[in-house]
Amino acid sequence: MCGIIGAVGRGDDTLDVLVHGLSKLEYRGYDSAGVALADETVDLCKQAGEIDELRAALEGQSIDGSVGIGHTRWSTHGPPTDENAHPHQDCSGDVAVVHNGIIENYQTLRDELAAAGHTFRSDTDTEVVPHLIEDALRSGADPEAAVRSAVSRLEGSYAVAVVIAGVERIFAARNDSPLVLGVDSDAYYLASDVPAFRDHTDRVVYLDDGEFTVLGPDGWRVTTLAGEPVDKRVDTVDWDPEETGKSGYDHYMLKEIHEQPRSLRQSLSERVDELGGSVDIGELADLNPRGVQFVASGTSYHAALYAAELFRQAGIPAQAFRGSEFATSPPPIGDALVVGVTQSGETADTLSALREAQRRGARTLGVTNVVGSTVARESDHVFYIRAGPEIGVAATKTFASQLASLNLLALGMTSTDGTREIIGALRDLPGQVQKVLDESAAREVAETYVSSDAYFFIGRELNYPVALEGALKMKEITYKHAEGFPAGELKHGPLALVTDQTPVFAMVTGDGELAQKTIGNVKEVEARDAPVIAVTDGKSDVERYADYVLRIPETHPRTAAVLANVQLQLVSYHTAALLGRSIDKPRNLAKSVTVE
Amino acid sequence: MADTAVVLAAGEGTRLRPLTRNRPKPMLPAANRPILAHVLDALVDAGVEELVVVVGYKHDRVQNHFGPTYRDVPITYVRQNKQLGTGHALLQARESVEGPMLVVNGDCLIDSTLVEDVCQAFDRGNGEPTLAVLEGPDARQYGAVTVREGLVQQLIEKPQTDEYRLINAGIYAFDDDIFDAIDDTPREEGELALTTTLAQELDDGRIRAVETDGLWVDATYPWDLLAVASEILDHGLTDEPEFDDRVWVDETAIVHEDATLQPPVVVGPDCEVGPGAVVGPHSALGRNVTIGSNATVVNSVLDVDTRIGPGSTLLETVTGQHVRLGPSSVVSGGPADVRVGNEVFEDEALGAVIADRVRAEGNVGFGPGSLVGPNAHLDTGVTVDGQVRESAEVRR
Repeated sequence: MCGIIGAVGRGDDTLDVLVHGLSKLEYRGYDSAGVALADETVDLCKQAGEIDELRAALEGQSIDGSVGIGHTRWSTHGPPTDENAHPHQDCSGDVAVVHNGIIENYQTLRDELAAAGHTFRSDTDTEVVPHLIEDALRSGADPEAAVRSAVSRLEGSYAVAVVIAGVERIFAARNDSPLVLGVDSDAYYLASDVPAFRDHTDRVVYLDDGEFTVLGPDGWRVTTLAGEPVDKRVDTVDWDPEETGKSGYDHYMLKEIHEQPRSLRQSLSERVDELGGSVDIGELADLNPRGVQFVASGTSYHAALYAAELFRQAGIPAQAFRGSEFATSPPPIGDALVVGVTQSGETADTLSALREAQRRGARTLGVTNVVGSTVARESDHVFYIRAGPEIGVAATKTFASQLASLNLLALGMTSTDGTREIIGALRDLPGQVQKVLDESAAREVAETYVSSDAYFFIGRELNYPVALEGALKMKEITYKHAEGFPAGELKHGPLALVTDQTPVFAMVTGDGELAQKTIGNVKEVEARDAPVIAVTDGKSDVERYADYVLRIPETHPRTAAVLANVQLQLVSYHTAALLGRSIDKPRNLAKSVTVE
Repeated sequence: MADTAVVLAAGEGTRLRPLTRNRPKPMLPAANRPILAHVLDALVDAGVEELVVVVGYKHDRVQNHFGPTYRDVPITYVRQNKQLGTGHALLQARESVEGPMLVVNGDCLIDSTLVEDVCQAFDRGNGEPTLAVLEGPDARQYGAVTVREGLVQQLIEKPQTDEYRLINAGIYAFDDDIFDAIDDTPREEGELALTTTLAQELDDGRIRAVETDGLWVDATYPWDLLAVASEILDHGLTDEPEFDDRVWVDETAIVHEDATLQPPVVVGPDCEVGPGAVVGPHSALGRNVTIGSNATVVNSVLDVDTRIGPGSTLLETVTGQHVRLGPSSVVSGGPADVRVGNEVFEDEALGAVIADRVRAEGNVGFGPGSLVGPNAHLDTGVTVDGQVRESAEVRR
């Protein structure tokens, strides 16, 4: 998981363009960053830390050249140090390489190169690439052929970009890691993601796996790794480059929590018809799956658990799997539809799971936020959640939009009892989320329990994924221990952890059997003196057992889960803010994880 | 030309309670979009390239709605934590502005003519403060201005008599030395009004005034929102596509073929209008509003997410967001005597003001001029009259 940028044709602005692009990619990783610019020589500057530290290091240095590459890193091999930061160079210093992904055969290559006399300066897998290129150049290959031959020796996942002294070109290749070109009239860009160059152009070319590209001042071309020309389409992206500003908030996460009414409206717009009692999901309505297997990771996995329950309620066998597990040990798929849920559309674990499913002949559907992402291009079908760009590493509004969108899929693909009522509840959802945002007591709860040892979250059925998600959010941004459990599971072990220092958040909605059983579990923790925070619509009498109540409006159980989650997002946010955490970029985490 | 505009959007607008319980006045609906959206349109249409919005009371609502840009023009938000007057509000923008600027109120409906007129007058001068004046509304509620040969003679805040013709429209162009002038203005009862600074400037030098005939509509009281909506519909100032003569319907709205839309009327995105329903004339439906079958909505402004049950009748009604009225609810319309604070207004054309998230079960009646506070719950069959407090539970 890293971010790459490259630019050709920007003359003296090249360095600024690269650093600006890196700042736009910072969400992809941020423990070190660097740039390399080439003219007759390669000038390089790299630095552990966030982009600002690179900016500081660049002060007073003369780094120039008319072609350049840059990189922001999230460590996989070796700690975040200046040496391990990209770009990496060969022994001569004439070749500089940035790389995103994991080179699986790097140890073999490194041993071989070291034996041939190459000196390695870092612990990274990437550093084998410049040395391989150096070898090929020394044996007389022209620059392009040298890069091709080096890349063809790599196994694993990569997006690489290369500059060479005396060559006014960037060479780049992709396999299993995202890479996109930006095309302007006299300048060309490449990056892991569009925002890196969106301020300069809106015309893009998405590279596919196994493709190789050369960018020069005179244009761009794409070939296969072997050199066969490939005809590529130029797409236009339509989002506004400024869409990603903080709008006056201290953190993107808080901004994005507050944007949920709007992103939910976008997710639902033109897709629901309450008068007609129907949803419009286009051709997906004709899929008629006999079974559904969801694959996803992190927050998206919690959305997948929720979705599986929706399909089961409509009588369709459905399960949710973690992408990393499905990829390596897939279950029997049969004729099930395999649905990959990924915000970025680039999550490596989810992509491998979908590819494994495709290899086994399954139909696949991608549910994602990013138009043109790998999952959107590789899946047989795609459904967009339309949440708008999300910058905070902790997913918030995209989770809400995933839940809303998965409701639409479930309604559109199955015949669900009470469809009209659910549509009404979905249309009520944006206004109800606004009510929660306006009236939440989450800050008070956070202040009361900020110094607790651990936090537990319990819920049943649709509130179980919410419990998991509440705990994940808490872990991600507060660095505190937090766990989510199905409420009934508490007594089978985790209850041993419950003390008066471990607040328990109980999601209790409605007043049916589920609510009563969860209240029974609340009494179990109450008896161990644990503080109880009830997230409830007030229909049941759970308030009698609660130290605090986080109130949500009365609604359908499906949308109640979304509302309960908003309360938990706010508790995590305020707890992390009180603790002074790096909320938008928590330690060790990256927005979309493109390594397995 | 001043290409930066500072928009003052921090105040609550207390006389518009209970509608301002959850949002500031600039975010109240002018037909089916916030007043502030129209103000920003006027600025962007006039060529403004940078927006600085001063937010305070319920600032989330402004920031979430507009985000970091408006029609590709970047917005910087600055916070006025305590609302200590318009001068104090402008002072908060000091770090975000360089050189000449426009200053406008975010809570008063304007069109681009006013903005352009002020810009041109300012450009003709030598950096003197410039303001727009206009004829029309009762000067006693605003600030009166006397003008001679393009220069301000007198500024009179809320004059007692009706002898004045021109009012201050609250649209200014300043050089950035205005900040020093505000600094030098003594506070009056802890507040810093921009007009106090201007009165002081008038003693030392010249202030230019430009008389303009652009659109200017202020909402002081809740029923004014009905007039604002009518004004917008009469001027066709909606950004929804025109479906039929003065019938504007968003493409994402679903209107049953047996429903009737009577012009002028605007139906916002994602709305649903059921069979047999009649909406209009002079009505505006905000985003995601549902009108049940056979309901009638006349001279009314229904804000975002409001749901009107089947068979209901609403005349001269203003709703907040996410109001839910059950089947056969009736607002029979004005005239009414309405009490706001300590004042009583007689014979206002107001059916009811129903604030955010009021929930009325079926068959609820609203007497003329009812004001229902947010989150109130009205049980089946009740009739309300006068004022209903926030979160009240009304049973038979």
